[in-house]
Amino acid sequence: MAAARTESVPELAFQYALKPCAIAVVFVLVALLWTFPLQHWIDYPFVFLFFGAIMGSAWFGGRIAGLVAVVLSSFLVTYFFIPPLYSISVAAESQSFLAAFILFAITMSFVSSSRKRAETEVRQARDLLETRVKERTADLELSNREIQRSERELRLLTEAIPQQIWRADSTGSIEYVNQNLRRYLGVPEEALLGDRLFKRLHIQDAEQVQDAWTQALETGTGFEVQARLRNASEEYRWFLIRAFPRRSEDGKVVRWYGLHIDIEDRQREQQSLIVRQERFSRLSRDLSMSELAVSIAHELNQPMTALVTHAYACREWASCNPPNLARVSATAEKIVQESTRASAVVRRVRSLFHNEEPIRVSSDLNRVIEDSARLLRDEAIMESVRVVLDLQHELQRVEIDPVQIQQVVLNLAKNAIEAMARSPVDRTLQISTRKANEDEVLVTVNDTGPGIAKEFVANIFEPFFSTKRHGTGIGLAICRSIVEAHGGRISARNEPTRGATLQFTIRVKA
Amino acid sequence: MTSEGQQRVHVIDDDPSICDGVSNLLEAVGIQTECYSSAEQFRSSSARVLDGCILLDARLPGISGPDFQDELLRSECRMPVIFMTAHGDMPMVRKVLKAGAIEFLIKPFQKQELLHAVQQAFSLNAEHRKEGAALLSIRTKIERLTEREKQVMAMVTAGLLNKQIAAELEISEIMVKVHRRRVMEGMQAESLAELVKMCERVRFPSWVANH
Repeated sequence: MAAARTESVPELAFQYALKPCAIAVVFVLVALLWTFPLQHWIDYPFVFLFFGAIMGSAWFGGRIAGLVAVVLSSFLVTYFFIPPLYSISVAAESQSFLAAFILFAITMSFVSSSRKRAETEVRQARDLLETRVKERTADLELSNREIQRSERELRLLTEAIPQQIWRADSTGSIEYVNQNLRRYLGVPEEALLGDRLFKRLHIQDAEQVQDAWTQALETGTGFEVQARLRNASEEYRWFLIRAFPRRSEDGKVVRWYGLHIDIEDRQREQQSLIVRQERFSRLSRDLSMSELAVSIAHELNQPMTALVTHAYACREWASCNPPNLARVSATAEKIVQESTRASAVVRRVRSLFHNEEPIRVSSDLNRVIEDSARLLRDEAIMESVRVVLDLQHELQRVEIDPVQIQQVVLNLAKNAIEAMARSPVDRTLQISTRKANEDEVLVTVNDTGPGIAKEFVANIFEPFFSTKRHGTGIGLAICRSIVEAHGGRISARNEPTRGATLQFTIRVKA
Repeated sequence: MTSEGQQRVHVIDDDPSICDGVSNLLEAVGIQTECYSSAEQFRSSSARVLDGCILLDARLPGISGPDFQDELLRSECRMPVIFMTAHGDMPMVRKVLKAGAIEFLIKPFQKQELLHAVQQAFSLNAEHRKEGAALLSIRTKIERLTEREKQVMAMVTAGLLNKQIAAELEISEIMVKVHRRRVMEGMQAESLAELVKMCERVRFPSWVANH
């Protein structure tokens, strides 16, 4: 061992010379002292005792002590017990005996010392092992404590943060929900484990979340959905629900983590912003429309009034007796003039509308529809209508006037919601987008209402046609003109079982 | 109805084609017209007498229709007014009708609407005219009285007895009776009540005690 190498010279001398010699001397002397009294009863008793001394020396003192004991014993045996007694010479007949003794003694010393050494090594190895084990255990305990501490901290953190967090096992069964989530829902943790958390979702969002969750579990990829959760006071708030998996080294999902972010305020703000924007643009449009209408009415009214009065006058002049033909003809001339003036007004108004540059912006149609759906939210909730969006991924961008197209979508959707007002069950409004072909995309608005009366299907897009009591009959006509201005077509049909489908196409390139 | 033959319609509209059309129609049914392109033009014309009615466009350059109606009401001219407009807003319609407009015609109007309104206006104007003539005759009669007779009339209509009048004017009761008879004759009044009524109609100031 490293420690032994650095020992000083006196220590080495003690270790390898003095200590073995002392041990050998002590053992051999004890054997000698016992041999004297024993020799009166046993012939050649010295053999056993000296062998014992050599074994003992080799055992306790090592190889050096063994050899010293062998030499010392050989000398003492020769001197005291082999004839001629008390001399170191050996009689011829005893020489073989002595030789056998020495040989045996050396063998014994070796065997004993090597056994001892082996045993010592085994013990040392065992000690070493034990020390190592102890060290390792201590280390483990330390790191264990460290882990526990950090886990406590982590848990404290998850309990303390204002977001809602849950954890599920690999099968998607929830096994932990944090304090914030428990407090929001107002129920103890047990009531939320397994799949019970999802029972707290708004009925209209439950399916969507469940689908996303099922898909996530199948594919092992995270998901993100927006849904409403009912809180302790039975109110719904919007949350961004995000789930992501943790994988083991071999890529298997071992845990799922869920995070709910409260987006109600953001949602509301956005919603009110959109609503305000929409209201504003509609208002300004209405205002300019009504101003325009007033001025057109005035412009047209003047020649019309003149026309009507001249026409009456013409009749009066003609019915005189005799008819005043000069005045009749003069009045007829006035009528022609006023008519020309009236049609000029009409022409001017028309050119006013035609000159308006159409707005065309490259837009994501799905996004426009999502915005529209957000605007419909309140109305849909009020009418208990479930709004389902089935939007094709990677839809081509389209060059449109987003505000106008949104108006079309809103108009169709609102009609659909109104149509379903009397449907007893399952009020579903589905808006979907599809790539119709390379140049066109298709938008479909489908409801589960009673459908369109057969005789009206053909002319619901005609201006001033309405089946509603207070309808103006303008909405769908405007929709059609917007769609056609975008190079598309709009159509309506009834579904074979129930509900109506209104759809329109939009050209990708304006 | 004989007087209506002399009545005419004063058409005030900034659009000459309206003036033209309306006057053509009215002439065809035998009604005389005068056209003005603004209220100011009408004001500067000689049309001050009650010779018909005014057909007034509500939207005029310069003075607007309702403002001009106010102006007419403040002045002595009591010609009836018919309004016409392309778009009547209710508050304005209510205001001008309350102020005595005959009718509010929405352009384009029918012949019957126009003629009916004009007839109404003419008959109202004839009444005004009759009223005006009556007042004029009373005023002329008053003018013909002497100062003393006017004094006596003021006191009589104030309800003073002959004795009191005599004391007040420091003349004999006989003289008062003479003046009184002359007043009744001059004013062509049958009774005291009629005399009082006449004085009220022309707002003749009745006597007020000095102390």
